[in-house]
Amino acid sequence: MICAGIDAGSRTIKVVLIDTDSLEIVGKGLTDQGVEQDKLASGLFKKVLKSSGATEKDVAATVATGYGRNAVGIADTTITEITCHAVGVHRLMPTARTVIDIGGQDSKLVRLDGSGKVRDFAMNDRCAAGTGRFLEVTAVRLGVELDTLGKLAAGSRRPAAISSMCVVFAETEITGLLACGTGREDIVAGVQAAIASRIVAMAGRNIEPPIVFTGGVAMVSGMAAALQTALGQTVTVAPQPQMTGALGAAILAADRNR
Amino acid sequence: MTDAPERITLEEWDVQYEKLRRAGMRQPQYGGPLSRHVEDGDHRLRKLRYDNSAAALRLWNFLLTEEDRLREARSAGKKIVGTMKDLGTVPVMAYCFDNVTAFYPDGAWWIPCVMELSDGLLEVADSLGIDESFCPVRAMLGAFVTGAHFPIPDMLICSVGATCDDFSAIAQRLNGLGHPIFWWEMPHRRCPEQDEPAVILPGGIAAPKCQVEFVKSELERVKAALEELAGERLDEEKLSAGISQANRVRQYLAELRYLAFTAEPCPIPALEMLIAEMLAIHFCSDRRETIAVLGELLEEVRGRVNAGLGVLDADAARIFWVNPVADLQVMNLLEDCGGRVCGTEYLFTHALDMIPQDVPPLEALARCALADPMAGSSIDRAERICADVRRFGAEAVLISRIPGASHCALEGQVISEIVAETLDVPVLEIEVPPVTDSMSPTLRTRIEALVETVRARRRATQGIRSDR
Amino acid sequence: MKTIIYTCPYVPAEWIAAHGLHAGRVLLDGVDPGFSAARAEGVCPYVRSFIGEVINNRGADGAVVTTVCDQMRRAFDIIVRNCDLPAFLMNVPSTWQTLAAQKLYVDELKRLGGFLIGLGGKAPSKDTLAETMLAYDDARTSIRSAREHLSAKQFAEAIAAGGSLKGEAFGDGSSDSGHPQAALEAATLRVPLAIVGGPLMKPDFDLLDMIEQLGGRVVLDATETGERGMCPKFDRRRLREDPLLELADAYFAGIPDASRRPNSELYRWLKRELAGRAVRGIIFRRYVWCDLWHAELGRLKEWCNLPVLDIDSAGDNETDRPRISNRIRAFMEMLQ
Repeated sequence: MICAGIDAGSRTIKVVLIDTDSLEIVGKGLTDQGVEQDKLASGLFKKVLKSSGATEKDVAATVATGYGRNAVGIADTTITEITCHAVGVHRLMPTARTVIDIGGQDSKLVRLDGSGKVRDFAMNDRCAAGTGRFLEVTAVRLGVELDTLGKLAAGSRRPAAISSMCVVFAETEITGLLACGTGREDIVAGVQAAIASRIVAMAGRNIEPPIVFTGGVAMVSGMAAALQTALGQTVTVAPQPQMTGALGAAILAADRNR
Repeated sequence: MTDAPERITLEEWDVQYEKLRRAGMRQPQYGGPLSRHVEDGDHRLRKLRYDNSAAALRLWNFLLTEEDRLREARSAGKKIVGTMKDLGTVPVMAYCFDNVTAFYPDGAWWIPCVMELSDGLLEVADSLGIDESFCPVRAMLGAFVTGAHFPIPDMLICSVGATCDDFSAIAQRLNGLGHPIFWWEMPHRRCPEQDEPAVILPGGIAAPKCQVEFVKSELERVKAALEELAGERLDEEKLSAGISQANRVRQYLAELRYLAFTAEPCPIPALEMLIAEMLAIHFCSDRRETIAVLGELLEEVRGRVNAGLGVLDADAARIFWVNPVADLQVMNLLEDCGGRVCGTEYLFTHALDMIPQDVPPLEALARCALADPMAGSSIDRAERICADVRRFGAEAVLISRIPGASHCALEGQVISEIVAETLDVPVLEIEVPPVTDSMSPTLRTRIEALVETVRARRRATQGIRSDR
Repeated sequence: MKTIIYTCPYVPAEWIAAHGLHAGRVLLDGVDPGFSAARAEGVCPYVRSFIGEVINNRGADGAVVTTVCDQMRRAFDIIVRNCDLPAFLMNVPSTWQTLAAQKLYVDELKRLGGFLIGLGGKAPSKDTLAETMLAYDDARTSIRSAREHLSAKQFAEAIAAGGSLKGEAFGDGSSDSGHPQAALEAATLRVPLAIVGGPLMKPDFDLLDMIEQLGGRVVLDATETGERGMCPKFDRRRLREDPLLELADAYFAGIPDASRRPNSELYRWLKRELAGRAVRGIIFRRYVWCDLWHAELGRLKEWCNLPVLDIDSAGDNETDRPRISNRIRAFMEMLQ
């Protein structure tokens, strides 16, 4: 039998299928989020099942997570992304003690104990300035692709200071920086540093290593380095960082099925 | 006096420095070219424009070497006292002791600006949960943690009560990190009730006598704590002598302010005036040198006024400035946009008013402390601003909000409403974070629009006059 | 009877009532989106809501504002400029360890008395004040003893109604107003939590129900509108000797708050209550732009060995609700 995890995030929907006994991943997929979340999620679910050579009858249990989890009708139950990311990261990197998850519209910092259980967490779901949304706005404003931001930032000699707590105003600041002749690389580095500083503010002192970085923003090159600088500690990007939430959900589905 | 007063860049100052040195400029021990401070990390200096006088150079060097003085004082065995929040009262008392050097830890709020955020102080504050929703004075918390900008004081004294919540909360966080703080209460200043004995405070505001007595009793506690720390008794004679010295600072500043705000053309830039005014609240860790620095600056300004020289165009728009700015460059920006500062209210007018010398010294200090604009209502503050706008002939009011400061939002509203109701002048509110580079186009647009409005109003007034 | 409205716990209801006036401690309704007399940006939503309440209140005859927070102090300026309702600004010292601060509080109560007399109140005799204090003390005792029989929301509502002396209604655990027995038994299986922070507004009380629905049980309401803001029990001997002094002492020294300097008493009180009620997690509730409470979050996390969940609110319940619900759910998953 297999178990499924569906992470209905703000930007994408992710599905992970695992073998209930071995917990090995047997299938995974991702699609952009949209208005009809339930339809998109079930469509992706079926597609991943098919590509894995399985059918719905093979699925023992399904857990949905993410901000759109309650809209996923095929799920047996829902669990928050905090718990799912913790479980997913622990599975992939059992020594991890801190998880930083930056998604499209929120960011989280989760502290784990030795068994991968959540000890404590902090969350920013109010201000887009600490999330992937900030990077999206920056990329659009600078007329570059999201995945080139890291390369640009690497060329920065002096990251620009971004003061605003609000993405809307920060966009005005970017316009201002461009008007002043500030290089795109310094602006991107400044934005990445601003996101990292918000994570530091959320984290507080004494962040226990190893620190693992997950979520879609972890794939944006340069962000892990910015976090490393801000935290003064090594930050490791999780393997398949977008999938950790869905993986955790699938493992929790398997747990519940036992 | 410098021959041709002007605002110059840091690079130009290097040339000017050599010129002045060759001409025999006498420099204090802390003297030297201004650009040397950039090597210490003060990157913002590269972007500022400065007055080109030797007096201004001395002022800047004095400001930027405070840490050296504090560390020397520590090496010499002096007791170091951090006087927090209270702006200009406890330092007057602390400087009466022979072996005490007082400083103003809150002044760390300018470090992120001067070092262009390279110091990491705000990040330390972030990690302690004091994020950007607090006033930039949160940099002080970082400075205490890193110990890199001033020696950890032997004693911290902080006024609370009718102060601002940001600072009170940050100081409490500091206290929670293991720094003992001597708290003293500043009551909210109120109007005397009918038949209640009243006292006229410096600045002309009336307050109930019982409130003055209360503050006096709090200052007695502060005095006792300082005496214990210093191992020295502070009698009335010594305190009176200290008040006389503080009044010399205030006297110099009063004349400087009057000349800077009223003379045509403007004899000294707004930035140097801001730094000079700030000396009133903390003496930059050396009261005697403060008097000398201000004396030289005043002499320079008098000379310029007598010679009819200035640093700005004669038609600069006359702006009254409310609240200190976290980014010093904004003072330059006003002048770049065609404005000049004609009157300031940086939240410490009580430290600029003369301390009464015809009453017992502790009572005099209590009266001064209670005159703090932050201790009273925003309405009192607005009325004083209106009076000073009239006094200095300002044509517009610019309220510079301090990002995150608990008092600014509602206070700014009250001040702008009252100014608009009372005076026929335009009012502009801006918000100034520690580094404004990314906001400079929007700030420039707003300030230019204010200057244009002032000029348009002038033309309209002149048109009406010429029609008559 | 004329009504005097206020929100601050350092305003003794007994003092107003003893003057023959109705003490109306207001449970704020939240920010009216259309309210424009005070700015929104940078202003604590609780303070904005208070300004709106005072300006728009048609049933009140006077308002008491205190200086415990900077923005409330500034709110007084907005109120006096925008409405005709007589208003009194009471100076509540931040320091509390000196006799001078205690005396200042007593003097402010006396000054408040003058304001109340100006509104038609009558200076109370010693006996009147003592009797009024006893009645309120009994009501509070009754409310406290009902805690275990009530849901957290009902308990918070009981405290809010306490100023109207309705506490006796909550004395009996079998009362309809309390939880049914089965529900009470189920409640004991939930995770015991404390809610810590400044004042709650009326719509925020739903948060208490939400916590229960998600598997928690608020056993300690350490908000300003909860138990923490309740005056401790009076010393009845001292009450008879000098009621005003006892009133001042109980309120000024007995209510721990983040605004006190130092605020060590808040942590001493929390330590005792958290341990006494076997709390397993803390929900820290704060308003954006409330510096006094925001600054305590980092310290609280370092100080206590319990998980702390930060819930910030901009006072917009529609957008806050899903965010808050998600956070609490994750918190409960962690604790269960």
